[in-house]
Amino acid sequence: MTAFKQSLELGLIRCRTCGLAVSYVSLRMDRRCPRCHSRIEHRTPLSTEMTLALLIAGIVFYIPANLLPVMHTSGLLGEADSTILGGIFEFWRAGDWDIALLIFIASVAVPFTKFIAIGLLLLTVRKNSRWQQHQRTVLYRIVEFIGYWSMLDVIVVALTSALMQFQVLGTAAPRPGIAFFCAVVVVTMLSALSFDPRLIWDRRT
Amino acid sequence: MNTILICRDCDTVYRAIPLGPGDVALCRRCDAVLARYFSANAESGLALVCAAAIFFAIANLTPILSIDIAGIETRANVWFAVRSLQQGWISVAAFGLAFTTFLVPALQIALLFWVLLFARAGHRPPGFGPIMKLLHWMRPWSMTEVFLLGALVAIVKLANWVPIVAGAGIWAIAALTIVLALLGRCDPESWWSIAPAVKT
Repeated sequence: MTAFKQSLELGLIRCRTCGLAVSYVSLRMDRRCPRCHSRIEHRTPLSTEMTLALLIAGIVFYIPANLLPVMHTSGLLGEADSTILGGIFEFWRAGDWDIALLIFIASVAVPFTKFIAIGLLLLTVRKNSRWQQHQRTVLYRIVEFIGYWSMLDVIVVALTSALMQFQVLGTAAPRPGIAFFCAVVVVTMLSALSFDPRLIWDRRT
Repeated sequence: MNTILICRDCDTVYRAIPLGPGDVALCRRCDAVLARYFSANAESGLALVCAAAIFFAIANLTPILSIDIAGIETRANVWFAVRSLQQGWISVAAFGLAFTTFLVPALQIALLFWVLLFARAGHRPPGFGPIMKLLHWMRPWSMTEVFLLGALVAIVKLANWVPIVAGAGIWAIAALTIVLALLGRCDPESWWSIAPAVKT
């Protein structure tokens, strides 16, 4: 197997914005990429700290997102506040198991996968672990890819409330839970974006 | 021409080799995409951007979903969805929704149009650097496909309750998703390579 060389071993540095390989010695004092003029760093500064802070914020927001109602409905059968989990349960009971599953994946499974995966990545990077580097990189890509699908519930609530205004059969309005849920999506996406996957492969001594 | 490639995910250094149409270069250590075949073909890119602009306009001008009860029609599209979230401080969610399903896709289309229009004529567009950076940072925040799925869920959710129909907008959103995905495949990193080719 060929020896893989990392950028710094060859005196190179990669711009994270435009992907250009720049020779380390040619960098001027301001450390800007000669092509796109972004700041260029060997590793994203404070990457793990930012990721951890945003991850904690995401977990904190996830609690009110689930405890508070996301939607208020009123109709001929009375008024009701529904939470995300309550909504999933209702779909399930009504026999719409496929929609229940879809919302469950987007609103429960995806956020939890993100929390656990980012937590695992942070822990192994802090411990300077060489365990399953390839698999952990794949895990990072999965987190990046699934990130924004959690926005599903926000969109469903918004569309439902938009359609069920001034209706004879009933009305629907958003409730604060949905704002917290939106915050969870944004904050966990930012958390994943601040993680520098190259840390998985670094050999710090 | 950029002859050295560095993997975005594991920082391994490679010497670039010429790629043929459809070729994708993968990192041997972590399987990340290092480079795709890219012909600085502004013509086809521009065609896709124009298609995206048309679909975007249709999606925002026609209803995506509508309910018709006793002759009273309620319609909904991206903007109606955003407006329904504007209640007190829940408005932060309205902002999030407007940003990801309207502002970001609109800016992506407009900026790519600007860049490709100049590239087609063989010029470096004014503001090329900042525009490319903006496109790079916006990429994860474009949520057109999530909106499409959300509209489909809303149909199924409300169908047992009210007579709901999908409008022309839903087809436009679906088409927009496909076109934006095609444009996104030629990632902004390769767009940079057209910069040295054209004069300032």
